[in-house]
Amino acid sequence: MRKLLGILAVCLFVSIGTIKASDADKLYYSLRTKVLSVKDYTADVRMKIDINRMRIPQLKGTLFFKSPDKMRLERHGGLSILPKKNINLTLSNLMPDGKVTVIDMGTSTIDGKKLRVLKVIPEDELSQIILAKIWIDEANMLILKTETTSRNDGTIAMDLSFGKYASYALPDRVIITMDVKDYKLPKGITLDYNDVPTPPTPPGEKKSKTQKGTIQISYLSYDINKGISDDKFKDKE
Amino acid sequence: MIQLLRIELYKIFRRPRTYISFGIITAIVLVIQLAMLSDGKSFLSFIMSGVNEQFDIQGNVLNGYLVTYIILQSLLIHIPLLVALVAGDALAGEANAGTLRLLLTKPISRAKLVLVKFTSSVIYTVLLIVWLAVVGLFGSLALFGQGDMINLKSDAFVMLLQHDVMWRYMAAFLFATLAMTTIASLSLLLSAFADNSIGPIISTMGIVVVITILSNLELPLFDKIKPYLFTTHMIGWKGFFDDPIPYGAIGFSALVMFLYTVGFLATTIFYFNKKDIKS
Repeated sequence: MRKLLGILAVCLFVSIGTIKASDADKLYYSLRTKVLSVKDYTADVRMKIDINRMRIPQLKGTLFFKSPDKMRLERHGGLSILPKKNINLTLSNLMPDGKVTVIDMGTSTIDGKKLRVLKVIPEDELSQIILAKIWIDEANMLILKTETTSRNDGTIAMDLSFGKYASYALPDRVIITMDVKDYKLPKGITLDYNDVPTPPTPPGEKKSKTQKGTIQISYLSYDINKGISDDKFKDKE
Repeated sequence: MIQLLRIELYKIFRRPRTYISFGIITAIVLVIQLAMLSDGKSFLSFIMSGVNEQFDIQGNVLNGYLVTYIILQSLLIHIPLLVALVAGDALAGEANAGTLRLLLTKPISRAKLVLVKFTSSVIYTVLLIVWLAVVGLFGSLALFGQGDMINLKSDAFVMLLQHDVMWRYMAAFLFATLAMTTIASLSLLLSAFADNSIGPIISTMGIVVVITILSNLELPLFDKIKPYLFTTHMIGWKGFFDDPIPYGAIGFSALVMFLYTVGFLATTIFYFNKKDIKS
């Protein structure tokens, strides 16, 4: 009798685990389908780049996106700056595609909201993404946060806020946090005006060559799935 | 005083040497603009390699504003020489030509004469800077167009929006005028010591070159004296292209140069008042 009860308990545990896993898989794939339903968009955006040693004012412009990985910011005669990453900084590109292993990590509360947490590992060994962790608002079927570890670009975190375009899984505001390398130019080239002397690094403390930087994109309006020509994404002077 | 100033300006602008300065500025600016037109992109990709590695920057980066900045940076050493050409000749030239004694027989004080010579040198300096603005800034804007400006510092990348750049250039040119006025006053001081104009012109350049090297040497030995060298502050115009603008540092730089100018001028008047004029 004891043996039978033991076997039953193991069976129950395994079946619950399987149901949970397949549930997580289902959730991930349906979310990915929703995100990928947007083939292209044109959005009026405001972008604030906050990266150490880069002083860039708030940029207003038009952001063009075409699935799967084309993105371009146009600023009506001004300069446009976008991070040059091997993976594109859009939600669809930070979610691994193809066959994946989805691990249910339970729930977590962010800003008072209970969110389901999934870890996604691509099965394709050549995938740029090694691991993605996503926080999901199950009730609205929206991804509110992602943390994607890539092969070449370190970890990219994305915090999303949704508004009137939630039905397309398109956010109103995105905050992207990523690793940025430090850069330096020889002073002989720049002939700097040293208004503020650089504080010395405390002894024993190694100066890190990479720092965290954030890019905040506010989407004011979207024009979705209207079709964008590939020429739009070609390099222009 | 006004009549005296008119005569001095007449003397300055009658000499062909005066126009050489304007010609030299035009030539240097044109050479840099030509170089930027033909090979500016490779120059840009070199200086922006650190940024380009991580960011995709699109648009007219090599615009008139950036080219003007490169021109101003390149002319850092040349403009003082051009200012010295006139200011260094102001008193020594008269002595060399044998007209200084005659000039001092007129009912004007020596201090007034020095002040008039200084004012005329400053007017010449202002015209030189205005000319630099015309050929450098407006010429570059005509050739390369407008756009957001990128300012590359050794450890920072600053981007300024197009509508926020022009006033910065005006402020920078104003600051450059103050810096060149300091050079003019130094040159005038050296001119008071000499009886021919070559000496003060070369001495001014020698002093500027040596102190500029001291200002730019990254050696702890010179760190304490650097803030008191006027050459350290001559590049204060660059502060206007930073974000946020270091107004405190720019103000201090302007104050140092103003004090140097007053000091040089006062010493010139003091020395010239006691000088035994023999020619």
